[in-house]
Amino acid sequence: MASLGDLERSVMSLLWDSGQRLSANEVCEQLDEDLAVTTVLTVLSRLEKKGLVQRERTTRPHRYAATASREEHTVQMLNEVLGTVPDREAVLARFIGGVSECEAAALRKILSP
Amino acid sequence: MEPIALVLAVLAAVLAVPVPILLHEARFRLRSPWAAMLLWQAIALAGGLSIVGAPIVYGLSPFGSSLPEALLTAARLTLMEDYAALAELEVHPWHLFALCLGVLLGGHLLLTLARTYLRVLTARRRHRQLVELLSTPLQGRQAEQAAGISAAQIIEHEAPLAYCLPGRTSARSVTVLSRGLLEQLEPAELAAVVAHERTHLVQRHHLLTMAFEAWYRALPWLPTTRYGREAVLELTEMLADDGALAQHSREDLLRSLAVSSGSAEQESPRPGSDAEGNSLITGARLRRLLVPPAPLSLAARAAVLLVSAVLLGAPTVLLLTS
Repeated sequence: MASLGDLERSVMSLLWDSGQRLSANEVCEQLDEDLAVTTVLTVLSRLEKKGLVQRERTTRPHRYAATASREEHTVQMLNEVLGTVPDREAVLARFIGGVSECEAAALRKILSP
Repeated sequence: MEPIALVLAVLAAVLAVPVPILLHEARFRLRSPWAAMLLWQAIALAGGLSIVGAPIVYGLSPFGSSLPEALLTAARLTLMEDYAALAELEVHPWHLFALCLGVLLGGHLLLTLARTYLRVLTARRRHRQLVELLSTPLQGRQAEQAAGISAAQIIEHEAPLAYCLPGRTSARSVTVLSRGLLEQLEPAELAAVVAHERTHLVQRHHLLTMAFEAWYRALPWLPTTRYGREAVLELTEMLADDGALAQHSREDLLRSLAVSSGSAEQESPRPGSDAEGNSLITGARLRRLLVPPAPLSLAARAAVLLVSAVLLGAPTVLLLTS
């Protein structure tokens, strides 16, 4: 049995790849794993709580879609790392950089054979 | 107690302004970053104790000859509403003002520390969720080459970068590499990068920087809090470099730095870049990698250790015996 984290991953990639709003049943059918719809619903509501999935409540059954594309999430994540957002210190990520571009260019010159 | 309050105030002033200015560019940090790190941590603690302690000791001075005694007397008289005894003590409004200042400052520092810690934890949790969803484990030949990587995750992005995300335990800590970095580095260079990031995690550098982050947030108008924060961040990078050099060659580390730091577009020379090259290398960290300085002598290291111990001990002893 896959862990909840793994299930979240597969559900998110399905939603990202399909790019449309899917109901829990459709998610369940399209996932390779043999899962109960209730499990999928649990995973979807966890993802909704994390702000990764949006639920459309006007239809029956409810349909779910990713709040942002895979690329948008990656960019957001890297912005935190590269310090283009104010929260940068909070992430405490240390990027190997910290070297200015001029210095890097000079370094490349020294190292080039 | 008043002379002790004065000593604490002087100590606080010295640790708040001239010491960080002198220390953040002291040359010895290049030779023994550990010694400098120890000194910074001692300064932060001693500075905090003395800046909060000085007004409190002064404010309590009419109530007794030692801090515990004065605290008890002040609390007792206040609770018993013994105005006659209070009047006899000749408590000046300045004393009350100093007492309030000390308590507020201490509360402010502690609350900021707690808030910074919570903020960091929340941001890290959110970031980890994204890493878990968006990355794939490093596999295959490169993983073997960079042996010892338990949790390197790959993010699909062309910008070359590497960073680490500390967790509560080392099993929850992750090193994240971008696809761009993976494609531009040789396996040996990649291994050096991963060793650098792992040193950050293993030596728990995020804990060493936490107090300085909080200090900076608590007193942003004090320019030296920024010095401390930057100096400690720089020291963690030097320590991580040293950790990587313990297992990998200097050339591999330097090459990986050149690739991951510079922009990918090498063909467009920037205005201001100099044909001489060398003169442009100003970063202390780089200089240190290119021309490794000799570590501090044993005597010098012992002296730094002693100074740190005195820095930590002095305000503590002053507070307890005042």
